[in-house]
Amino acid sequence: MLYRKMFRDIRKNLSQFITIFLMIMIGVMAYSGIEAYMSGMKKTSDKFYTENNLQDLNVMGSLNKEDLGKIKDIKNVKDAEGKISLTGLTDNDKTLLINFIESNNISKFYVYDGIGFDQDKSGVWLDNFYAKENKIKVGDTILVKYENVELQEKVLGLINVPDHLYDVRDESELYPDRKEFGFAYLSVNEIKDLNLPYTSIMVDVKDNRNHVKEEIEDNISNALAIINIEDTSSYTAYQGEIDEGKTYVGVFSGLFLFIAMLSVITTMTRVVKKQRVQIGTLKALGFSNNKILFHYIGYGVWISLFASVMGLLLGYFFIGNVFIGLEMTMFEIPNGHPVMNNSSYIVAILVVLVVLLITYITGRTILKENPAETLRNKIPSIKGKALNITKHKIFKKLPFESIWNIRDILRNKMRTVTGIAGVVGCSMLIVCALGMLDSMNFFVDLQFEKLYNFDYKLNIKEDINEKELKILTDRYGNYTSQTLGIEIKTDGVRESNNIFVTDADNYVRFVDNKNKFINKPKDNGIFVTYKLAKNKGYKLGDKVTWHIYGDKKYYKSKIIGFNKDPQNQNITMTRKYLESLGIKYVPDSIYTNNNLKNVKEIKNIESIQDIDALKDGMNEMLSMMKTMLVLIIGIAIILGSIIIYNLGILSYTEKQYQFSTLKVLGFKDSQIKKIFVKQNNWIAIISIIIGLPFGYYLTDWLFKTAIEEHYDFGASITGKTYIISALGTFAISYIVSRFLARKIKNIDMVTSLKGNE
Amino acid sequence: MKNFIEIKNLKKTYIVGEQKFNALDGVNLSIEQGEFVVILGPSGAGKSTLLNLLGGMDKATSGSIKIGENDIAKYNDKELTRYRADEVGFIFQFYNIMPTLTVEENVNLIKDVTNTSKKSKEVLKSVGLSRHSNKFPQELSGGEQQRVSIARAIMKNPKILLCDEPTGALDSKTGVDVLKLLKKQADNDTTVIIVTHNSLIADIADRVIKIKNGKVESNIINKQPKKIDEVKW
Repeated sequence: MLYRKMFRDIRKNLSQFITIFLMIMIGVMAYSGIEAYMSGMKKTSDKFYTENNLQDLNVMGSLNKEDLGKIKDIKNVKDAEGKISLTGLTDNDKTLLINFIESNNISKFYVYDGIGFDQDKSGVWLDNFYAKENKIKVGDTILVKYENVELQEKVLGLINVPDHLYDVRDESELYPDRKEFGFAYLSVNEIKDLNLPYTSIMVDVKDNRNHVKEEIEDNISNALAIINIEDTSSYTAYQGEIDEGKTYVGVFSGLFLFIAMLSVITTMTRVVKKQRVQIGTLKALGFSNNKILFHYIGYGVWISLFASVMGLLLGYFFIGNVFIGLEMTMFEIPNGHPVMNNSSYIVAILVVLVVLLITYITGRTILKENPAETLRNKIPSIKGKALNITKHKIFKKLPFESIWNIRDILRNKMRTVTGIAGVVGCSMLIVCALGMLDSMNFFVDLQFEKLYNFDYKLNIKEDINEKELKILTDRYGNYTSQTLGIEIKTDGVRESNNIFVTDADNYVRFVDNKNKFINKPKDNGIFVTYKLAKNKGYKLGDKVTWHIYGDKKYYKSKIIGFNKDPQNQNITMTRKYLESLGIKYVPDSIYTNNNLKNVKEIKNIESIQDIDALKDGMNEMLSMMKTMLVLIIGIAIILGSIIIYNLGILSYTEKQYQFSTLKVLGFKDSQIKKIFVKQNNWIAIISIIIGLPFGYYLTDWLFKTAIEEHYDFGASITGKTYIISALGTFAISYIVSRFLARKIKNIDMVTSLKGNE
Repeated sequence: MKNFIEIKNLKKTYIVGEQKFNALDGVNLSIEQGEFVVILGPSGAGKSTLLNLLGGMDKATSGSIKIGENDIAKYNDKELTRYRADEVGFIFQFYNIMPTLTVEENVNLIKDVTNTSKKSKEVLKSVGLSRHSNKFPQELSGGEQQRVSIARAIMKNPKILLCDEPTGALDSKTGVDVLKLLKKQADNDTTVIIVTHNSLIADIADRVIKIKNGKVESNIINKQPKKIDEVKW
């Protein structure tokens, strides 16, 4: 019979239970969805890396078969394979990273279509994404061109490769442009006659990787650099996304869940308290305390259990799949799918337990009273100093509805605080989501308008001689730079980094941490980026010890200033300073403002980078981010509306009797509506005032802690975002309040007043 | 004396599920201005329904309720709101005063719905609550809270004072004090109608109306009403 009562009670308070259901469902959905997405990212890559045997080390240099044999012979080396990687061209002058291999046991292909690698087969295994973008199918023939070698190759397979999850033409490009740039694998037999050395050797290590590295360093003189796979751009870009996501999981999903639960707890407490007289009646009828408690616990448990399960399912199938789907447009990895994490199940169980506990505690508190006491409605206390203050001074001059609302707030502090917390959370999330876009736009502007003061960057081929270089600088201007791969040694620990050597005058500019222009470093030391300095504890005047990959000689350079670089945490020096150290300056880039719009190829230039194309790439990445943020904003708005609606119902129900009294006294519906809406408007305004700055700090914190180490940008939120967030939050609150206020018209004075008795 | 309230063939039917229930089943009665009227009857007789209809809190199914020249049974929601604001004062068994407003604020609340020349301080003095004007209702006794309710009702200088079991939650002495205040209003030409179970109160009324099964069982003018101090329960 009590079950029947429970279901009927739920039906009677359907809107309240629906909001509880939705809040739990959305909270759990947001948490488990983002968690499933992040775990999915991790598990997908782990699986791909393991099954397709990603290498542990990349040995870079001009290496030969003897080097390969020596590496294979090192103890703890499981296997090693040589690779000749060249940047070439294909049809329509698109860029192709061409790899010639002998075998494919390390970084094995994942074949989407066609056949696996076979050294004896003539043809090309092509980047699946590139093929899709350019509508190339297995069996088609494409051009593979490197310098004077032109091969017409049949496409044998469309593939993914574990060390090509993320390929960009160069580091200034953030978002891969799969239409213009892809990778291809061919058998080394295709260029047998050229006798080219390996450009890298992939090493699969059993264990003790450091020992293997040292062995290679000591015994392979051709090895210029030995790079851990974790330091390669493909690996770090993907891992960075996972690390960023971990913070999002904590912040966004945690915040969603927290706001939702706060509201659920308040509502459940009120729902049980409202049953006070019925609890007394059941007790008077002789029901045991446990039976009554069990009955009321059932209210919350069934709803929260059902909502949690729905949240888990929606999180996995909706949020998880959408987010993973977006990531899979950026990273080339097969079988990307969300993975339900144990923590999601734990959270779902915890949610049910919290609801259970709340109903238990509330029920028990009521049950502790004797039935006679319980059968009387409890009149909320109006004692308290705060309330007495409102009897005096300026409060006396306030209109009735204001003083009434002030006291109602003071009398229902918990409900008000929950309301404020809910709306603060939502406005924070909206500011944060929009603010992230603002900040990214600001970053694009800083990078491509302020720091990069050129139209084109020409990447010079490695084997160019001085005469050829002079031809290029004469034609395109002598504004060049060189990037040196280095290792920094601090307290015996060596870490990879790079030095940007500038001879580009004003074509590459520098800013301080307030984004104000500063002059390039003088010729007596180095600039270190702020973030690198902070991480390493560098101060002005400190000396940095470093060596260039492939050269064991260490240099000590004095820090003469700091600069901010949003993309790269490195060292900057001038050409003159580099040369003063006795190192030859070999430029690898030329910056120019010549119009190269229709130029596809320049002799001795590996690739031409159009600043507008870089910006487009960046904006493409932003558009992916936008989709995720739209989803976050969407959830924030839905959750915010539900919380405001839910607390609105609570507050309306509690005031209904007073409203009916006002109605009896002759107050018009519009006057009563005004009273009701006014309080909700106040709560919205207070919440917005708190939420906006918190939104800023949340965004700043996210940018400073969540993003990869080599990025450095904080929140930069425009006034427009604050206005949109404030108006948006207020509008949601106002619309929901007006919607609820419609109930006032239908208050039945007789029933309401009787109900109170 | 001319009849101030004229009720003719008043019916109020509630439909509960498929069942029809006639709370009032053809009530006819008239009340003169300034009369102190007591309506008696057992539970479910229709007393409160009649009071609600008289107060414009509910709508009749059929029939007419003339207050002066106006038939309020024909009023729409807006007109009923105006009527409640300007002409009727309510007093309930459980006071129904705003818990978050002080005594004086509760009384002044009336100024938000109607123009009144009365001053809250004077009204509070007349009900003996001057000392408590700055207190919240919860700080007062039941009798004092009921006086707040009376003060709020008379603040608007109503033509009719409708009281639903005004002494129901009070002890005998406090109840008598409240009745004295109500009688004072009738002496000032306000029509006071009290709905009660308590037949002892009938002894002090000018007119006693008994209701049974939704009909007027009797409508008697009490030619020699007792003095209030003589009433005890």
